[in-house]
Amino acid sequence: MVEAVPGAIGRVPATDRKAVSGLKSRFEHQNWAAAIVFFVALSVMPSLPFFEGWMASQAALIIIYIMAAQGVSILTGYTGLVTVGHGGFLAIGAYTAALLAKYTGLSVIPGMLAGGAMAALIGMVLGLVFLRLAGAFMAIGTLGFAFFIGAVVNDVPIFEGRTGISLPPNTLFGFEIEDYGFYYVCVVALALITLFIYVLMRSGVGRAFKALRDSEKAAEASGVNRLLYRTLAFTISAFITGVAGALNGQIVNYVSAEVYGDIWYSVDILVAAIVGGSRFLFGPYLGGFFVVMVPFFFEELADFAFILKGVVLIAVLMFAPAGLAAVLARPVRALRDRLLVAAGSDSGRRAGERGGAP
Amino acid sequence: MSGLATGSLYALTAVAVVVVFRNTRTINLAQGDFAMIGAFLAIVFLKTFGLNYYLAALLTVLCIMVLGVVVERVVMRPIADSDWLTLFTATLGVLYILHGVAGWIWGRDTKAFPVTFDPTPVHFLGTVVSKGHLINMAWAAGIGVLLFVFFKFTKQGVAMRAVTDDRATATLMGIPVRFIVTLTWAMAGFLAAFVGILTAPIIYVSPQMMDQVLLKGYVAAVFGGLYSIPGAIVGALLIGVAENLAGGYIGSQYKTATAFFMIVVLLAVRPQGLFGIQKRREV
Amino acid sequence: MSLLRCENVTVRFGGVVACDSIHLEVAEGKIVGLIGPNGAGKTTLFNVLSRFQDLDAGEVYYRDRPISRLKASQIVRLGIARTFQNINLFAEQSVMDNILIGGHRHLGNAFAHMFALPAARRSERRIEARAVEIAEMLHLEDELDTAVGNLAYGYQKRVEFARALAAQPEIMLLDEPVAGCNDAETAELEGIVRWINQSLGITVLLVEHDMSMVMGICDYVYVIDTGTNLAAGTPSEVQSNREVIVAYLGEADA
Repeated sequence: MVEAVPGAIGRVPATDRKAVSGLKSRFEHQNWAAAIVFFVALSVMPSLPFFEGWMASQAALIIIYIMAAQGVSILTGYTGLVTVGHGGFLAIGAYTAALLAKYTGLSVIPGMLAGGAMAALIGMVLGLVFLRLAGAFMAIGTLGFAFFIGAVVNDVPIFEGRTGISLPPNTLFGFEIEDYGFYYVCVVALALITLFIYVLMRSGVGRAFKALRDSEKAAEASGVNRLLYRTLAFTISAFITGVAGALNGQIVNYVSAEVYGDIWYSVDILVAAIVGGSRFLFGPYLGGFFVVMVPFFFEELADFAFILKGVVLIAVLMFAPAGLAAVLARPVRALRDRLLVAAGSDSGRRAGERGGAP
Repeated sequence: MSGLATGSLYALTAVAVVVVFRNTRTINLAQGDFAMIGAFLAIVFLKTFGLNYYLAALLTVLCIMVLGVVVERVVMRPIADSDWLTLFTATLGVLYILHGVAGWIWGRDTKAFPVTFDPTPVHFLGTVVSKGHLINMAWAAGIGVLLFVFFKFTKQGVAMRAVTDDRATATLMGIPVRFIVTLTWAMAGFLAAFVGILTAPIIYVSPQMMDQVLLKGYVAAVFGGLYSIPGAIVGALLIGVAENLAGGYIGSQYKTATAFFMIVVLLAVRPQGLFGIQKRREV
Repeated sequence: MSLLRCENVTVRFGGVVACDSIHLEVAEGKIVGLIGPNGAGKTTLFNVLSRFQDLDAGEVYYRDRPISRLKASQIVRLGIARTFQNINLFAEQSVMDNILIGGHRHLGNAFAHMFALPAARRSERRIEARAVEIAEMLHLEDELDTAVGNLAYGYQKRVEFARALAAQPEIMLLDEPVAGCNDAETAELEGIVRWINQSLGITVLLVEHDMSMVMGICDYVYVIDTGTNLAAGTPSEVQSNREVIVAYLGEADA
């Protein structure tokens, strides 16, 4: 086959090649620095004086929800598909890890991976049916999936319904770990997953996802196999949420139908993804924080937590539909520019991007 | 036969879902909770105010219709031009709020409904059925007739059909689309109220009572391709019957699973629903 | 030799026959036009050729290989690219990102890309370099990180072309490329199409309403009316064809 190679007009001179990759983001270095500072802070946090054991667990829980929301955002924010029932994958991850821990003594990390893998597998199969559907139908289908998982968890004997399954204490490389240890496992997992998503979305695969989101027809006309890439997105998304699920069971060493038997935790992670901003890398961080901290502050009035979540969700949709991350993006950028100017850097002075989505 | 009865109640939810969706592109996740609030309000009217059944029912219906209108005005109208995912998520927000309010005012425990389900067996069309089921079916059928008359013969009904078919043209023809949208949500409330009152004697009243019904209502709506009311009704009846059979033969815990499997099979075979319109692929 | 060919293509929508046994052939290296009055079935046929529409009878051949069972995304690999009538770009994404997706066919192993393996990074650099080349050829290099939705219509049209070119096609299918363009934009696009054909050696099939453009650059023209072939020939042959004139202007003015 003859390749139509463009003629002698315009070869990119070697010196300009840097400009090409620089197009990704002028602030690449600064963004990396900020992210590294953030994770270092997370790691250092437990050694602060006022920090207590239960705080580590609470922080780990937030991280778990962040991860689950990251899974959702890959699907909704980056690929433009709907999923209401992603909690089903959370449950699958939790129960897989739980059962394996109980019957084979699997430790934390393999448990996470097994949970993720099982969720990914089921996600792939489910995708075969649901990914060909129009948006509304897919939403209902995934909702049905969540209900179904809830029913299975309640009624199928091996999952022990409301009595639940108790896991043996968490072990890591043979050592028993408690609050702090588990917290660090979560931090590392979060960092790895965030890195993975970062690499993914900047790759040709991520481009294909975003293309499918923004215009299916244009994507297909460019050669993007719609079913293949949708399935890939769905599977990856299920994996990540599955890993979060495994951790969710391990953090309390207990899984039961009381948590996984209905759909609320499933819509919770959708809320986390949307409120935080499903198109931003750190959107799920904000969303996960929100969804976990609201009930935390309203421990007595759990019902009020529901109301508040609903009100905030609606408010976000009305006033900041791109999520809280979008709202914070501008002031954060302004702050960054000022810091850079203060540090005397070039890119700070050249501040002012002209567009382009994250 | 009792499957048909529960099916007819699912049908009311399904019809509401279809009507709201085809008029406003919104999947109303809060539909079930409208019914739930209706059930609670009915208890309040019956117990606290000691009203008779019919008066309480009437008031409940009116209140939930108002609720529907309030949701439309306060939540849906400001974001009316957004993509459907935003609209859908907004109804999720409403769901959260209603759930929280119900739990706050009335608590999480399940309550019994003051009017009990009448289990007296009655002979009907060759089979034996509880009187209560018969009454429910009668109500549902009556509402069905009411809807039919509404859509076919009233000015508002015809206007609504026009808005469903082609909103732009309807606007050009002078149809008050905003009013029709409000009416649509009022209708959703109307139907939900009945679902709440009629279902309450069967399952105990609690903030989570409608979760299952909601899903089945949706599956039924999907049967109609989210567009056709008769399709949704047929779907709902099918689900009701299938559930009952599955419950009878396999085990009652598999009732929910039935609905899910039905939808998986249906969508696998006919991605646009049984009666849905097959959209020509436009470029 | 004929690069793209369709024979006896019939498409029915319910009771309406949009295309009835249509025949069309695009020879390699040529610019072929497809014209006809409104409702003639041009768009339907175009969508069949670009695989966005299934046919009910007949067959489409690319280099003598039947392609009517392939999906739209699969024919890109064979060397067929298309543009859209009212442009179909990712409005919120940058020009560069829009062009890059055109090069999707050259991606290679998806997993390698997910984990930024060396092979993937090489292929990515190649795709990027080619995208920049194309952007420069179409004078878009100054707007590479502007969001496409913010650009003027003429620029957007060029981005649409750039994206199709990024697939390094052998043949480009253009769907009413100058629809909605003013005279200046039309002339510019005409030049670009000619350049694509002559400098890059890409075969072109275009559907168009703008007669002067069609007559100006096409080597061969097919006319269809009410779903059937009406006439075919060089632009001058078609222009003087009585049936064509009747179809467009009606009996009385012929």
